[in-house]
Amino acid sequence: MSWKEAAEPVLTRMPVVARPEGHVPFKRKLLWTAGVLGIYFFLTNITLFGLDAGGSDIFGQFRSILAGGQGSILQVGIGPIVTASIVLQLLGGANLLGLDTENDPRDQVLYQGLQKLLVVIVTIATAAPMVFTGNFLPASQSVGNALGIGVTGVQLVIFAQVFVGGILILFMDEIVSKWGVGSGVGLFIIAGVSQQLIGGMISWEALGASGFFASWYGILFGETTLGSTFTAEWFQNLLFPPGDLLALVTTLLIFGVVVYAESVRVEIPLSHSRVRGARGRFPVKLIYASVLPMILVRALQANIQFLGQIIYSQMGEAMPTILGVYADGQPVDGLFYYLAPIQARQDWMWFLGLTPAGIEPWQVGLRVAIDLIFMLVGGAIFAVFWVETTGMGPEATAKQIQNSGMQIPGFRRNPQVVEKVMERYIPQVTVIGGALVGLLAVMANMLGTIGNVSGTGLLLTVSITYKLYEEIAEEQMMEMHPMMRQMFGNE
Amino acid sequence: MSSGDNSGGLMSSAGLVRYFDSEDRNAIRINPKTVIAFCLLFGLLVQILTISVA
Repeated sequence: MSWKEAAEPVLTRMPVVARPEGHVPFKRKLLWTAGVLGIYFFLTNITLFGLDAGGSDIFGQFRSILAGGQGSILQVGIGPIVTASIVLQLLGGANLLGLDTENDPRDQVLYQGLQKLLVVIVTIATAAPMVFTGNFLPASQSVGNALGIGVTGVQLVIFAQVFVGGILILFMDEIVSKWGVGSGVGLFIIAGVSQQLIGGMISWEALGASGFFASWYGILFGETTLGSTFTAEWFQNLLFPPGDLLALVTTLLIFGVVVYAESVRVEIPLSHSRVRGARGRFPVKLIYASVLPMILVRALQANIQFLGQIIYSQMGEAMPTILGVYADGQPVDGLFYYLAPIQARQDWMWFLGLTPAGIEPWQVGLRVAIDLIFMLVGGAIFAVFWVETTGMGPEATAKQIQNSGMQIPGFRRNPQVVEKVMERYIPQVTVIGGALVGLLAVMANMLGTIGNVSGTGLLLTVSITYKLYEEIAEEQMMEMHPMMRQMFGNE
Repeated sequence: MSSGDNSGGLMSSAGLVRYFDSEDRNAIRINPKTVIAFCLLFGLLVQILTISVA
């Protein structure tokens, strides 16, 4: 008996959000999406009951791509969904699951159930150390006394809230995927990063930090001085805060590169086998697997750091130096230091004296090298897995082309032949695209961006927004021409 | 409009979680409005608890 039969009773009974019956009008879809977004912001603003003041964010710099909010009901954000997705990608990519999600409806149901079960398990595994170890979510003594349940009781209450929050995120994602536009995960990433980006642009001193516009207002009206013109100090003040032109250039560059790369493609000509003159093209985009696999690589790094934080909170100073030396909750030496990705300029610009004291340039260099290799290789590997598991690989696309009645002119009309042609392009393009995106993410992090959104966050946001735009355009076209719906195979 | 472009029809942007059309008859179906209502009530409950106990 395979694991399928054993797990079937559980996996098929996982609760699901009901599917809409029939077509959902575009306006209704937008309403659902906006509604979920509103609820998401509402929940990120609700502080956990029983939480004491203090506590550090265990996700640290990864928060921008993992969404949610420290100390709120949505503490775990999309972390569990991403981690569960990594596990599924690795299992599915290596074909260990034995599920045929392309053709077999039974396997599709099992896959969906497994996916959900994994998210629930990972939510528990993420929330438990956050609440019960260390001081990431300190429980309030006074609340424990007031209710007579002690600190442990309060911890259990906090755990329950974080758990419910994690499950709610999963269901909100499902609502957006089934009733709205795009996906919830994408929506939450865009929401968080955009908020940070706009904040970094227009924030002013009374709100905490001066944003880009406020700084330049100060520079232009003489409140901030840059030093004598054309000196080293002047250039430094211009490129780095307060001028921060480098961040502006990096942010714009990422926007430009992603939008440009979306249009870079190898187009395979197609012609209809029966209707003469009906021609089409199959695009193999440079960032074919999109930027999504990147979030998986980053989440893997986040989980490694997460592990380091837990070990440190348990062992404290007794932790072996080879594993990690922590100062102010951040690794400054040892394995976990070298495995930590470069998040900002102060992680590597030793020549400006931005790195913490005691870190040698060779250490910084080693960390940058490890981060680069991790992202390049990881980006390529996860892109390949992504293409395989989401039905974008040569075999699946060849079948799609065959079924739509198209063929590649000059080749026999046969899925194997089309697959051969696809094999010349898809794997290469995927690997190059994945590595390129990895490089971009590291570069953006090193140079810094407006509002300190991470490079990966910015990449994800621009690319998801672009996809969302395409999807909305397609939706509108289908609204206007109901015939199109048949052509796209929806309903 | 090229044919292969979107014929999958299942993938959505940033679809880390994949949903297929097929569903089991045994699965518990939840109305999306119920989820939204639960989110609202849960948030309010936690907020009220915080205000009343602290």
